[in-house]
Amino acid sequence: MKTPARHRAQLRDWGAATLVALLIASAVFFVHRNREFRAREEGRARAAALAVARGEPPVGRVDLAGVVSPPRASAAYPFLRHRSFVEAGGDGAARELGGPCAPAADKLVYDAAGRFEAEGAFAGFLPDGSGRVVAATPTEGGVAVAVSTPPGGPDAFPWLTLIGVLGLGAALAGAGSVMGGAARPLGLALGASGLAVPTFLWGGALPATLIGLVALGVAWSAGRGGTDRFFGALAAHRTALSFVAPAAVSMAVLVATPFVVGLVLGFYDHDANSWKFVGLDNFAHILSGGGKAFDDPGNFWFVLGVTVLWTVCNVALHVTLGVALALLLRQKWLRGKGVFRMLLILPWAIPNYITALIWKGMFQSEYGAINSLLDLAGLGHGVSWFSSWSTAFTANVVTNTWLGFPFMMVVALGALESIPRDLYEAAEVDGASAWQRFHHITLPHLRPALGPAVVMGSIWTFNMFNVIFLVSRGEPGGSTDILVTNAYRWAFERDEYGMAAAYATIIFLILLLWTVFGTKVTRKEAAP
Amino acid sequence: MTRAGLLLAATAVAASAAACSPERDHGVVLWHTYNGAERDTLEELAASWNQAHPDQELTLVAVPYDAFADKLTSAIPNGNGPDLFIYAHDRIGAWAAASLVEPVEFWVDEPIADRYDRNALLPLAYQDSLWGLPLATKSLALFYRTDQVTTPPRTTDELIAMAPDARAHGRFALAYASTELYGHAPWLYGYGGEIFADDGSLHVATAEAAAAAGFARKLVADGVSPAETNGQQVATLFGEGKASMALSGPWFIGDIPAGVPWAVTTLPTVSATGRAAEPFLTAEAVLMSSRARDKEAAFAVMSYLTDDPSAVLRARQARQVVANKAAYDDPDVAADQVLATFRDQLDHTVPMPATPTMRAVWRPYQIALQEILRGGDPGDALRGVEDEVIHGP
Amino acid sequence: MTARRTRPSWLGVAATYAALLVVTAVVLYPVMLVCKKAFEPGRQFALSASPIPREVTLDHFRALMGAHGSHGELLFLRHAMNSALVALATTVVGVILSCTAAYALSRFRFPGRRAGLTTFLVVQMFPASMLLLPLYVLLDKMSLLNSVTGLVMVYATTAIPFCVWTLKGYFDGLPRELEEAARIDGAGPWRIFFTIMLPLARPGIAVTALFSFMTAWNEFIMASTFMTEETRYTLPVLLQSSVGQYSADWGLFAAGAIVTSVPVMALFYVLQRSLVGGLTAGSVKG
Repeated sequence: MKTPARHRAQLRDWGAATLVALLIASAVFFVHRNREFRAREEGRARAAALAVARGEPPVGRVDLAGVVSPPRASAAYPFLRHRSFVEAGGDGAARELGGPCAPAADKLVYDAAGRFEAEGAFAGFLPDGSGRVVAATPTEGGVAVAVSTPPGGPDAFPWLTLIGVLGLGAALAGAGSVMGGAARPLGLALGASGLAVPTFLWGGALPATLIGLVALGVAWSAGRGGTDRFFGALAAHRTALSFVAPAAVSMAVLVATPFVVGLVLGFYDHDANSWKFVGLDNFAHILSGGGKAFDDPGNFWFVLGVTVLWTVCNVALHVTLGVALALLLRQKWLRGKGVFRMLLILPWAIPNYITALIWKGMFQSEYGAINSLLDLAGLGHGVSWFSSWSTAFTANVVTNTWLGFPFMMVVALGALESIPRDLYEAAEVDGASAWQRFHHITLPHLRPALGPAVVMGSIWTFNMFNVIFLVSRGEPGGSTDILVTNAYRWAFERDEYGMAAAYATIIFLILLLWTVFGTKVTRKEAAP
Repeated sequence: MTRAGLLLAATAVAASAAACSPERDHGVVLWHTYNGAERDTLEELAASWNQAHPDQELTLVAVPYDAFADKLTSAIPNGNGPDLFIYAHDRIGAWAAASLVEPVEFWVDEPIADRYDRNALLPLAYQDSLWGLPLATKSLALFYRTDQVTTPPRTTDELIAMAPDARAHGRFALAYASTELYGHAPWLYGYGGEIFADDGSLHVATAEAAAAAGFARKLVADGVSPAETNGQQVATLFGEGKASMALSGPWFIGDIPAGVPWAVTTLPTVSATGRAAEPFLTAEAVLMSSRARDKEAAFAVMSYLTDDPSAVLRARQARQVVANKAAYDDPDVAADQVLATFRDQLDHTVPMPATPTMRAVWRPYQIALQEILRGGDPGDALRGVEDEVIHGP
Repeated sequence: MTARRTRPSWLGVAATYAALLVVTAVVLYPVMLVCKKAFEPGRQFALSASPIPREVTLDHFRALMGAHGSHGELLFLRHAMNSALVALATTVVGVILSCTAAYALSRFRFPGRRAGLTTFLVVQMFPASMLLLPLYVLLDKMSLLNSVTGLVMVYATTAIPFCVWTLKGYFDGLPRELEEAARIDGAGPWRIFFTIMLPLARPGIAVTALFSFMTAWNEFIMASTFMTEETRYTLPVLLQSSVGQYSADWGLFAAGAIVTSVPVMALFYVLQRSLVGGLTAGSVKG
């Protein structure tokens, strides 16, 4: 490699490693800075409250401080608790807190006293984003409370420090490159790990080591030509990457980020406002079936079985019906194709919330349309659709098939169009039967477009919440519930978002396995 | 008082409420799920507030009920939520635990508290704090078609005795949401059952609750009530004359088709125990967000929406069972027999529990009721409810 | 079976028509119940299974169109315009993003290609209801809450996985000869993409456009959660507003559902010319 190019490569590698290090360092800085700020300001408010408790004037910038009396509950309404307040530094006269015209600032000290009685002395920021801090501490005759305002915001981002460290690092890397030999990777590693020093001061050994490892990794990779290959590949596939980039970036931001958050939450337990790390507990609870028997609708494996059956039935029906109708609608001699097509996509076009409920009504045992029809045909009387598993499941599947086949039909219509008609003509000349033509021409051509639709369709069906929720509602006894309705119940009936996220993660893993397996199959078959 | 007069009075009160709050620059945003007449009335009230307070504009945002709770829990912690919102009291427990709502007892003194029916105010108290001001109450009562029923039953025995005649006419005596805990609650409490014991612990599987469930099963088995009915089907059955009576709430008034002659009365007494059947009570309230920007102004609006003239307007135009007691002195409101009945019913109601655990009870209880109505053992089914509430689905 | 110039036996014709008529009848019945509710007075569904209304009224449509906000603005008009804007923008953005990505994934071989394809598929397997809150926080941080842009971006990315995979399938099926010829003539990759590939993939684009449009058009949870001003809601939010905790105005909902589905049908009508019959055998053979 020519010398200037070599130096350029060295700086490029340094830049890449430093970028990663910079991200880590900034994150660590913000966490550190906020923690410091919090501790400092809470300390200030606490000191003010302690001063009030001792009867001294509060120190520092204080909005309001004084002593709040214990509550006197109203006789008629025990939850109306009146308190009086002696403001520090005032004339020592007590005034009543509260009432319809009371100022909002008074409420802070009033609520602080209540919180003190519930959980003891405390100091903390107000959740309103105003940056004010409230502290309360016991004193004679009540609670000493101080509300303070920080003199300024938290520390600014240390641009100068960072620029200095980066400049030094670039110089080190450059020097290493100029010296050549073993100094080259050494300079790169040292130059790229410069940010480890301030990071160590802010966040301790762990993030600093991480930065060091990144630097070492890049230096090692550069020594073996890895970074050259990487950047070379980037340049070589510039066009392809620029085609993919818009979609990839928007997916990464709007889909992948919430997704990662969702994955992480599965390892936590949520209670009111706090999250506690519980490792694999949620997963263990779910996968063990919650200690229930396998045929209990509360057991995960039972629900999984129902979900798989639900997905298979639906997707099979969607595809069969969709493709069959698309084939019928392709007949050249058929009249009114346009009208048929329009009418057949109606189930997709109308908001499914109302049509699902219409179906629910049609399955009603006494007056529903389906039972009237069965009665008319002499096939049965007063079938109670939602009282046995098989009929309730059937009702769900029928509804969802009705809702879902138009989508497959549209996909199949488009896919059929890409089949050159002369292929059929040739096949006909060769004397191929209708089945042979379908099997050897139609099916292989449908596969590339229908394959993804099937994979997607099964993912959507697997997670199809609305139909189950609106039609069978899990009846009888929760046995027609699917995994996603269970996840929903953990989240929105019990507020246990950690458990729900664990459920969602398991759903994700199942689908992932299925897809990896499923796409392999479609790919193999699609190969000529 | 005429409507214009009422609005004038509302404006006057609105103006006086401002007397104690200084000039502001940001307004008050209120989220609600109202539609129809309730929405129109609320907008009228907001308009007259805004006339009196150009500096504290009250902005209303309607949010669909299905999205409301999720939207609230996402928005408030991120500072995008409303200052006030209107919702039933039963979520207060969860919202208080998550610090989404602001306790308001600080601003409330005895004269304000005295404005409201005690039955409507008490449900808003949770863990020694008051979390909102009540607008209206909702509970079930007994609706009956006057073309099919001359004297409504006063006891459950009378109710059951009406079934054969109704059956002979090809209809049910009573339609109610038999598979939902909300519809079943009157029997549950009428038989002396409960959901939570006095100490707040779950107490579902009791002999009383089993007896109540047995009674519900008897209603279906004897053909008094149709099987598998939800709230929506109750309205249809009643409207089409397939059910002579229905258990439903104030919202039912709008559901009954025009031309159907009907009246409403309080629930009958449970003959087996001699106790009144007691439905759930929900208090619909204005609640304040913990992140409200101007809490003083927000409270002034809360107070305004629940004060006497506003309540009269809401009772007259939206036919809300308003929580404000003085509203019933208004001759028009006093003459409204429907509101009077629901108010009478209030004395025999049980406030819907506001503890967060309650939300986990609805669905297993519904499954248990379905099982029992199909002939399952009440004891086993109710034990299943306890099990699921404690251990999860 | 489809390319015959002669008509098949009368039995086949009759069977085909019969099958289509039966399926259409089954498909239409629930739709007619929705129509019936939309035109019949009253809020509740009727018990009768007959799809013919006993009494016809336009009250529900009037109520729908006449719904007004707190400043007297006509909500229906506003929401319909918002919906149209959001859905059309989603269609455009979704189709552009997916076409480019699908083309690259189909025609170029680059490192990370297979991983990328799988990732597009995989990330949407996480149940959407669990992602609402993280997504809310994210949009909040990017100042995209209560904005049409934010909603369009969310919908477009929701539609991307299906669109990319479908379009990739179509691109895979197209012959490479035309591109090679164009390349020899000196056309750049973008020019080839726009002038040759896109016109050829029209059926695929029609499918994905319809899909993107539908993703945005009928969505209600995100639209009602991410928009904090009533005037920015979309039509499905207006519809859902008629469903309360204890009772719902099904007449209003049904009328709204009918009105909502009309533009979808119109779009489908426009797209179906691209969807079917847009290509002749010769042009694909190249």
